[in-house]
Amino acid sequence: MRIGILYNIIRKEEKLLIEAARKNSVDFELINVDREIFTPERNFERFDLILNRCLSKVKARYALNFFEFLGITTVNPFSITQICDDKFLTSLVLEKNKIPTLKFALVFNKEEALKAIEEKFGGFPVVLKPPQGSWGRLLVKINDVDCLEAIFEHKENLGGPEHKVFYLQEYIEKPGRDIRAVVIDGETICAIYRISQHWITNTYRGGKVSNCPITDELRKICFDCSKALGGGILAVDIIETKEGLKVNEINAVPEFRNTEPATGVSVSSAIIDYCIKKIQKNGR
Amino acid sequence: MENKKANCPICDSEIEIPAGTEESEIINCPHCNNRVLVAKITENEVFLQEAPEIEEDWGE
Repeated sequence: MRIGILYNIIRKEEKLLIEAARKNSVDFELINVDREIFTPERNFERFDLILNRCLSKVKARYALNFFEFLGITTVNPFSITQICDDKFLTSLVLEKNKIPTLKFALVFNKEEALKAIEEKFGGFPVVLKPPQGSWGRLLVKINDVDCLEAIFEHKENLGGPEHKVFYLQEYIEKPGRDIRAVVIDGETICAIYRISQHWITNTYRGGKVSNCPITDELRKICFDCSKALGGGILAVDIIETKEGLKVNEINAVPEFRNTEPATGVSVSSAIIDYCIKKIQKNGR
Repeated sequence: MENKKANCPICDSEIEIPAGTEESEIINCPHCNNRVLVAKITENEVFLQEAPEIEEDWGE
């Protein structure tokens, strides 16, 4: 039984995964996507499962498709990864499965944005996100028309085609924190509060963390997300609102360096265990 | 066992490579504070390169 761990940069998370694999005597091999040639003639038969830990989302998508073409089990598969990598696709899946989430709209120009803000969100403020953004980068809280016009003018003139896709989301006053839950095959194994006085609570942007108790409501919403996406390893970002918990985003290649010390749960071991079970259950 | 050492590709200062460092890991040079990529680790040597810029598609 051999696991291939796909990567392009080794982060703290990958080191924790390596440590967990070694500790459990799991046979694994690191696969640097920047050093591979992806062609069907290459022999990758030695792998029973590919665990995607690529920092680059674009490279990961190609690599996952390649290994799935070869008939090798992937975690997470492309089907889950492509949805989680795109906030609009995630919103559509959540909406379709009646999972509580934030109001959203996608537009391609300023005029439609203004209409959507009026009709869908009932006015400003709203949040603008790049659909495929990460680490909380390029998020904008748009407070008024002046701000909207400035942002759109910059994006329309400076950005590539992907920056001319405008994903709008309702702005919600958070109680100084949000929730990040780690969900493996439907089970919420741990959760943290990400605490920040800034409206962006991402730990990459300096948010602090503490353990979050797993309530029935949290367990249920996370289970529903997992079911909607088809299982896998997920980090579900959730906002506490007056109407209850609502899903903000879902991540398919979660970072968990802050989650392990805050919760005492070894996410890395849980991921390796999941991969082993997946091989035992499915084979290839 | 003594930690391996290598020179920073940016400021040329000697960097002590912490035990457990992996290839393709990014470390900070303690002298110039730049990000440095651990390109290769052999039995006796560690090769460092300037770390790549953070790409737009990186992250979760």
